[in-house]
Formats: sequence, structure tokens, C-alpha cells
Amino acid sequence: MKPSLITEHSFGEAYAKRLGVAPWRGNLPGPKVEEWRFTPLRSLAKIVFAPADDVDVDAVPRTVPVIPGAARLVLVNGAYRKELSDANLGKGVEFSQGKVAAKEGSSLIALNAAYAPESLALHVTGAAKKIIHIISIGAAGAAPTALHPRITVTAEAGAAVTLVESHVGLPGETYFSNPVASITVGEGATVRRYVSVDEDSEAFHLATSLVKVAGGGTYEAFHLGLGGALTRQEVRIALTGENASVRLNGAYALSGTSHHDFTTVMDHVMPSCASSQVFKGVVDGESHGVYQGRIHVARDAQKTDARQVHKALFLSRGPQIDCKPELEIYADDVQCAHGAATGEIDPNHMFYLEARGIDPEPARALLVEGFLADAVNEMSDEVVRDIFGVAIGTWLKRRAVGSHA
Amino acid sequence: MALLEIKNLYASVAGKEILKGITLKLQPGEVHAIMGPNGTGKSTLSNVIAGRDGYEVTKGEVLLDGEDVLAMAADERARAGIFLAFQYPVEIPGVTTSAFLKTALNAKRRQEGKPEIDAMEFLKLVKAKTAQLGMPYDMIKRALNVGFSGGEKKRAEVLQMTMLEPRVAILDETDSGLDIDALRVVSEGVNSLRSPDRAFLVITHYQRLLDYIVPDHVHVLAHGRIVASGGKELALELEAEGYAKYLNAAA
Repeated sequence: MKPSLITEHSFGEAYAKRLGVAPWRGNLPGPKVEEWRFTPLRSLAKIVFAPADDVDVDAVPRTVPVIPGAARLVLVNGAYRKELSDANLGKGVEFSQGKVAAKEGSSLIALNAAYAPESLALHVTGAAKKIIHIISIGAAGAAPTALHPRITVTAEAGAAVTLVESHVGLPGETYFSNPVASITVGEGATVRRYVSVDEDSEAFHLATSLVKVAGGGTYEAFHLGLGGALTRQEVRIALTGENASVRLNGAYALSGTSHHDFTTVMDHVMPSCASSQVFKGVVDGESHGVYQGRIHVARDAQKTDARQVHKALFLSRGPQIDCKPELEIYADDVQCAHGAATGEIDPNHMFYLEARGIDPEPARALLVEGFLADAVNEMSDEVVRDIFGVAIGTWLKRRAVGSHA
Repeated sequence: MALLEIKNLYASVAGKEILKGITLKLQPGEVHAIMGPNGTGKSTLSNVIAGRDGYEVTKGEVLLDGEDVLAMAADERARAGIFLAFQYPVEIPGVTTSAFLKTALNAKRRQEGKPEIDAMEFLKLVKAKTAQLGMPYDMIKRALNVGFSGGEKKRAEVLQMTMLEPRVAILDETDSGLDIDALRVVSEGVNSLRSPDRAFLVITHYQRLLDYIVPDHVHVLAHGRIVASGGKELALELEAEGYAKYLNAAA
């Protein structure tokens, strides 16, 4: 086994030439890279990608929820599409597009930097009233395609904004979405970010979020993973000023052979910061769920309060779950806790619902939604919480139909 | 025809025979009490009628309006009109009482060919029923039974019963864990549901509950059999003399 997967044929000269840019010379991480041990990219590395210049998308798929009063920024294959967007962002936020600087970072970030058309940059200067809904649509033409959305959010001191991201795609040839989001939360600022990944069942999605939270700043995020052949949502957060606070939560629901990976790194650099994570997953079929959560507490980060929990519910005996919590604590006056559990639906719960006349399938759905609720209910925006709740409900219906087929 | 008829019912749990030939007829409008010491099969009887997994019926029949109850799945039995008020209602985190009640109510309405209840109508109904049972309306926003006191759980069971309006209600040790005040409220809730076309099977260890829910018939269950039947005065006799003579007779 090689430490990295050679992908030059996937993203090399020919690909770069068609885009008219310098080629990426990197490799995808291989199975010997510890952080990628549970999420092998062999199947991805075999695909030869081409830019999707032979396809067009003229409407946002109807599966994308409409958030009342929200601004919409739509990306198709990573490129901003003005005519599909409603870029009236309201007060407190400006947006611009810019060249993506080729910066250091993981190979996926470098790949994104090499081929991202332009970055979508949000500059938050005050308390934004409107929710900003970013919609990324993947659509392959005759050949598999890759997309490299790049989003940059900078919230100035004291500013506040709520972002929603919907990552979806069109059925057809497979596509690979490789989004990178860089988020800077200024002093005393608040960024709320709700990400839904519901890609086409054949799609790959490997997302990296890099977040920095300054002193007194608040970052609240929820990540939902519902679809795709292989999805990874990697979130790396640094709490870089005192009294910064992070709530990072997520849920996933997998069926078929779907693979979903949450990888989080919570880096407590400064004292008196708090972070909490609640991740919940439901797995069915032959699916595979991964949660890797690292909490790093630097020597100076006294009075840190860092918590993390991952729980998974098996709907059948076929799926696999890998859970790897890692605590690296170098300060001595801290509170850190992690918990992990897996289980099945309690037959006593099922009987209770059935004894009230509820059919087994809706009873199971009610229990699954109940299981995910303590992660979902962490979202402080009620409107978005309801929308994500509906998406989970739809997944459950889809699953129920599938299991009867 | 009897509303609920149990004919020579034998059932075992994990290979051990618990019910050994129970025969019982509930006419519409009647309240039957089943009394007996612990471990004689009272809860097994209620679980077998409601359709819980793990109980094997080896012989006999249970008929609701002449229909074979034992051939139905648990949820079908409930929709057909059998309601079990649990001795120990389970706590279900994350599922709000309101979502649960609505799903259950709609399952019943679908069975009856009615459309789903609309949100306003549902809230009005819950408001009326919770008020009637002296429950705070806000409890429907809480997760089902989670953190409820013993009394609240039993009240929640009666709330469900009043909303689902069953044909036959089985109360499994509803008095356990209740103080006198809660017992009165729960009993009043049950009594308000008494009607000429509904029957109750009240399972209890103590006579106390039957001061509030006055039965038409009392049966003594011992060693998996009904060993004596009588009117409400039988409960008083049991209270005074205990179960010893029935246990010895049946053994």
C-alpha cells in the first residue's frame, strides 16, 4: 500500500489544460495516512475527471429548500452563477469574488486552490439580518467532473451572520465536490453556519472547513450528511482568543453503501474557551459511518471546557461505524469529556408506539428522528432547524420506500 | 356478542407456561377487575392481549367483536380498539409527546378513513383533554414520559386513552406508584371514559383502585388461572382476607 494515491491522470495536464491553468502536482491521501484510514479514496482515485464545460444548469433543483427571506448565492460546478442567485444580501454583509490564493494546507486544499474558479468571499461588517443561503450544485456532463467551490467568510469584530449551505447535485455521471470554506470569526463576532450535504447517490464530497475564532467570538455550526456515495466533512477549528466559544454539531443518516466521515479538530490555543460537539448518526444497509474527533488543548489554554460526544444507531446489522476520539491535553486546569456509544432501536420503545396504533415503519422513523433530535436541537435558528428536520424526515421516507422495494 | 372474549388462553414466556387456560368475557359497558398476587400472570395477560413480542400463545383465542386478535400485529390491535395503559410507561428521549400523540391519532383516523387532523384542531383537542385531566398543556412539548413523575406518567397514559378512545382499555397496575391525589385524578379520567360501548379490564394488586373505579365483575388470578369470580364485594373480601386461600386452592 502506498502512502498516497497517484492521481496525476485524474487531475493532471489534460485537466489543467482544458481549464487553462497550471496543473496540480499533488496526490490524494492514501490509506496509510492516519486521518484517512477509515475513508479510503481508492475508488475516487480511479476516476478520470474532466471539466464539465458541456453541461448547463438553468434552475436550482427543487429538493433545495427555500428559506424565507434569505439571500441566495448559487454555484454551479463551483462557479458563481449570478442569474440563479438573489445576491441582495441586506445590510451588514458584502460579497465579492476573487482569485484563490494557492496556499499551503492539505492536498485537497491545494487541489481546490489549483482548480477553484474564483472564491466567493463574504465580508460581514455588522449584524446581518438576512440568512445567506449558499447552494452548490454539482453536474457532470458526458464524463465525470470535479468541482472545487471555495468560500471565504470574514466576520469583523462584533458582527453576526447566519449561513446555510446546501450541497446537492444532479444525477448522471459521477461528480466529485471538493469544497473548501475558510471562516474567520472576529472578536465578539457570531457566525452560525448550517451545512447540508445531500449529494447524488453516486457522488463524492470531500469538504474542508477551516475556522478561526477570535476572543469572545462564537461559532455555531451544524453539519448534516444525508447522501452521496462517499462524503467527508472535515472541520478544523482553532480558538485563538480568550473566551471564544464553539458549538459544532452534526448528524448523518446513511443507507445503501453510503460512506460518511466526520473529522473534527478542535484546537484550544488560548485560555477560558469552550467547545462542545454533539454528533449523531443513523446507519442502515451496508453503509459506513466514521467520526474522528480530536481535541487539542495547548499548555497555555487553562480553564478550557471541551466536550465531545458521538452516538450511532444501527437500523440493521449490515453497517459499520468507526469512532475515534482523541484528546491531547497539555494544560492542567481543564474540563474535557468525550463519550461514544452505539446501539439499536429499543424494542420496548417500538412496542410502546405500536401499542398506540402506530405502524412499525413510522414508529421507527419517529424513534430515529428522536435519536437525532439532541444534535439537531442544538441549532439555535428555529427556521433552519425545521428545514433540516424535514430533510431528515424525507430521508426516512426514502429509506422506508427503499426497504420495501 | 361479547366485546372482548378470551377463550381458554395458554401462554408462555421463554418456554415457561404462565397462563394456563384463561376464559373471560367482557360485555360492552362493563368494567372487569383482575386481582391477584405478584407473579400469577396478570401482566402476562395484558401483554398477550396487546401483542408484545416474547409471549407465546400455545392455545386458546382472543376475540374482539368476534375478530381474531391474536392474528393481528400489535399496531393493528391498537387500531382495532385495544388500548394497554402500561404499568411502566417507557421514556422516549427526543420524541415529543405532541408528535407522538399526533402520529398515533392520525394512524387511527387513517384506519377509519378520516383525513389527518389539522394542526389547530389537534391543539384544541389536546388543550381540552389536558385541562380535563388537570395536566399542564405544556407537557406535550416535552419528550415522551422523559423526566415525568410516576403520577405524570400515569396521567399521560390516561390522556392517550382519552384521545384514542379505545373499545377495550386494559389498565395494567395503573395504581402502582400513585399517591392518593394522583390516583383520584387518574380514576376520574378513566371513569369519564366509561360508556355503554366500551369495556375495561382493570388489573391490580390492591383493592384501593377499585374504590375509585368500581368494577362490575372481579376475578382472582392465581397460578395462571382464574380461580374465583364475583361482584365488587369480592375485592373487599380479598382486601380483608388476602389471597392465601386462593393460592392454596389453585396449587
